[in-house]
Amino acid sequence: MRSLKTFLFEWKHFVGSPFKILAVLLFIIASMYGLHNGADLYHKQNAEIERINEEVETKKATILSYFKNNEKGPSEHPWVDITTPFWAIYNTPTYHFKNPSPTLVYNIGQTEQYGFYKLITTSSSGYDADMTKEIANPERIQSGTLDFSFVILFLLPLLLLVLLYNIKGQESEHGFLPLIFVQTGSKNWWLLSRTAFYTVLLLIVIFGLMVYGAMLTKVFVADTMFWNLLLWVTLYLFFWITLYFLILKYGKNTVSNTLQMVGVWLLFAFIIPATVQQWIAIEKPTNLMVDLIDVSRDKKSEINAQPIAVIDAQLFQLYPALKETKVAKDTIIVQKVRGYSSEALINLEIKKATQSIEADNRIKNELISKTYWYNPITYFQNKLNQLTHTDYKDYEAFRNNIRKSVDTRIKMMVFDTWNDITIDKEKYLEYNSTLPNNAYY
Amino acid sequence: MFQIIKNEWRFLVRSRIFLGITIAFSAIMLLSIFLGNYQIKKQEQTYQNAKDHVRQQWVSIDEMNPHSAAHYGTYVFKPSNLLSSLDEGVNSVTGNVLRVEGHVQNEIIHSEASQMQAVSRFGKLKPSLLLQYIVPLLLIFLAFNSVSNEKQSGRLKLLVLQGAKPIQLIFAKTLSVWLYGILLLTFIMTAYALFNSQNLSTDIVIRTGLFFSTYSLYYFIICGLTVFFSARWQNATVALTSMLGIWIIWTMFIPNILMSSAEKWHALPSRNEFQSAMTEDRSKGLDGHNPTDKRSIELKEKVLKEYGVDSVSQLPLNFDGMRMQADEDYGNSVWDKHFGNNRAILKQQKQSFQLGGIVNPFISLQNTSMGFMASDNLHHQAFLLQVENYRRVFIKMLNDKQIFGGSKTGNWSWKEDNAFFKSVPDFEYKPTQISEVLSNYMLDILLMILWSILVIILIVYGTKKIKII
Repeated sequence: MRSLKTFLFEWKHFVGSPFKILAVLLFIIASMYGLHNGADLYHKQNAEIERINEEVETKKATILSYFKNNEKGPSEHPWVDITTPFWAIYNTPTYHFKNPSPTLVYNIGQTEQYGFYKLITTSSSGYDADMTKEIANPERIQSGTLDFSFVILFLLPLLLLVLLYNIKGQESEHGFLPLIFVQTGSKNWWLLSRTAFYTVLLLIVIFGLMVYGAMLTKVFVADTMFWNLLLWVTLYLFFWITLYFLILKYGKNTVSNTLQMVGVWLLFAFIIPATVQQWIAIEKPTNLMVDLIDVSRDKKSEINAQPIAVIDAQLFQLYPALKETKVAKDTIIVQKVRGYSSEALINLEIKKATQSIEADNRIKNELISKTYWYNPITYFQNKLNQLTHTDYKDYEAFRNNIRKSVDTRIKMMVFDTWNDITIDKEKYLEYNSTLPNNAYY
Repeated sequence: MFQIIKNEWRFLVRSRIFLGITIAFSAIMLLSIFLGNYQIKKQEQTYQNAKDHVRQQWVSIDEMNPHSAAHYGTYVFKPSNLLSSLDEGVNSVTGNVLRVEGHVQNEIIHSEASQMQAVSRFGKLKPSLLLQYIVPLLLIFLAFNSVSNEKQSGRLKLLVLQGAKPIQLIFAKTLSVWLYGILLLTFIMTAYALFNSQNLSTDIVIRTGLFFSTYSLYYFIICGLTVFFSARWQNATVALTSMLGIWIIWTMFIPNILMSSAEKWHALPSRNEFQSAMTEDRSKGLDGHNPTDKRSIELKEKVLKEYGVDSVSQLPLNFDGMRMQADEDYGNSVWDKHFGNNRAILKQQKQSFQLGGIVNPFISLQNTSMGFMASDNLHHQAFLLQVENYRRVFIKMLNDKQIFGGSKTGNWSWKEDNAFFKSVPDFEYKPTQISEVLSNYMLDILLMILWSILVIILIVYGTKKIKII
């Protein structure tokens, strides 16, 4: 009962403190700004995807018009022959998209580090130039977008600090702390009740803000994401409440408590993550992708310079069924067929090179994960990234999907070329339905 | 006044907490410089290995057609910069690898940030992180009760009775805390100089000098404001919370909000739009690989007329190479237009952001810190321009060899030998000199000076009527 009274009395204390009210208002404004930033990016990415889809349709229509008019391709490119599998597949526009999750409204995460659409060709890889981030001001990316998760991860502990800093310290400085203890019975319950008030207040504010965010994108359509996010944000709030509660419990005065709170915040928000990042950069310096460069230059030349018999043997090893094709059974060796098909062998080398790059990145991620037990902000940050599909692993999966799509495309091109298939409108449409634009969360 | 400053320092040095914080903080700063330097050197090694590897591939070309070599191309890696061990700026988010080849100006790719999960929102443990975010907080904690304490203890009245003017006292308090900031700055700069004594150049010395000056100005603003609040308000806690509020707004809110807004006010095109617009413009020009192209035919007729011959086979040069170079020249005008447009937008964004220094000196500090340490977007763009200029020279050399090297038009099997490829120079990065870019930071410096003057005015006029008790 006494605790409840203390809890309710804290409302009066809060209302009587303009500084605290201003801090909560600023927090709400920053959160709303952050939510709009996230929603803007979500809508911008969707609009771009829609625009690209329209472009794809226009390109398809142009190619279909060639079939209709009995043309082999654009007149300014006389070497193009869309009746061959190579050129038909080359002109089958396929994009892979990393669709933005509606929860992007809450957390932009690593979205701005990567591209979210990719034109698939037979020589594509997940590390092509068009997989790099959207054109943006690097100074803005470096300072980070003020999104809702930034507000939660970095400003929420500060808001909490502003709300809690003078609890107990003020009473102690005015000399009526013993009186309070006599009146309330237990100092821990008194402290807990006051802290609980701000916890509840912040939970209500956060819930309200998250509902507001959900109105900006279709968050509730996406399963239980909203509740999962709310749960993790609540856990994060409790993490800071516990830390600050302990500081208040053992602290002596307001200034010392404030200093300790700020110190802990600086340690978790700045010093530890920055040191971890520095350490990882030393352990594993930035990969300059030399392996990939080697494939695109030397390996490619080596493969193309091989005798036809060697190329055939490698292709048969990759695709055993190729032996049964028309060209394979033909005694006349067609040089051009090998030329196009060597894409499959180059792709194999690209995959090997990217696997080693991904493995390298995985080691970095494992190093980061090992620091989570003393690096809580990074842990929560990556947890939010994971929940909102804006994590490194989501983009890794996006790259893997691209690789699979390239594999399918190459295989189709090689087999149809070796089966000496002539492409007509129906076959072209079949390519388009087998190699469609693909979306991935 | 000097006596008051001396006294203040005597008090500070006597405080065990202060000494403990100073020692701990100095250790972290030393660690940041050591790790920063070590990381840059390690990255430099990776860079050098990659550069040598790619160069080795180039000089090992036995024989190749010059235009095939233009497609084979080369790669330029963004070099590490020892200055960035003080402030890394945009280096971790920009790409590091740039493909240099014929027909196209590529974009730089493979940033450090894209190669792993998110870790720190504020970058690596570099001295700039400590100097920008943590030292000001330390100064606030040292200054917030400097005058209010004197009031509460009654010492202020005593000091005034002894002949000290309140204004002198406030300035002395400001300067004594500011000197502590300067001491930390000096410590960092000295440690940096010692670690890099063999690589110091005039440009680095000037840059670090400017870096030191802008931080000094910012620390003065912070110390002055905190002492001002301490003098204005009876309660030290109010002074502390006010300054903490200002620190949060200055460092957390405004830079982020303003930068995002600047990007909205001056919007960059999306990558797809950018590429489509370039492809569109490019298609209006000559296609070097298509002899039947209308513009190619026009060029051919012009050249034939110039040389007074009837067919390309009669030309004393290889027309294919000429067509390729004409293709390049047209392409260059397209790249200049579109990449130039992006650079102009980025410049507008930067200017809008810089104006934010009017309300927030932290913005000016960030700009100058990155700029003087050669790690801001301006320096990044200068690097990209250098690479593009190199690409144009590189491709022209190959095309000229195709034109004048002794081959005939249509003879694509003609190849140049290894000696030629060895003679093609490698890309050598010339660091941007501070004198070339200093004018870009004058607004930031000016705004910080104005802020310092404003703080002095606040102290002089705002503390005239303070209560002594």
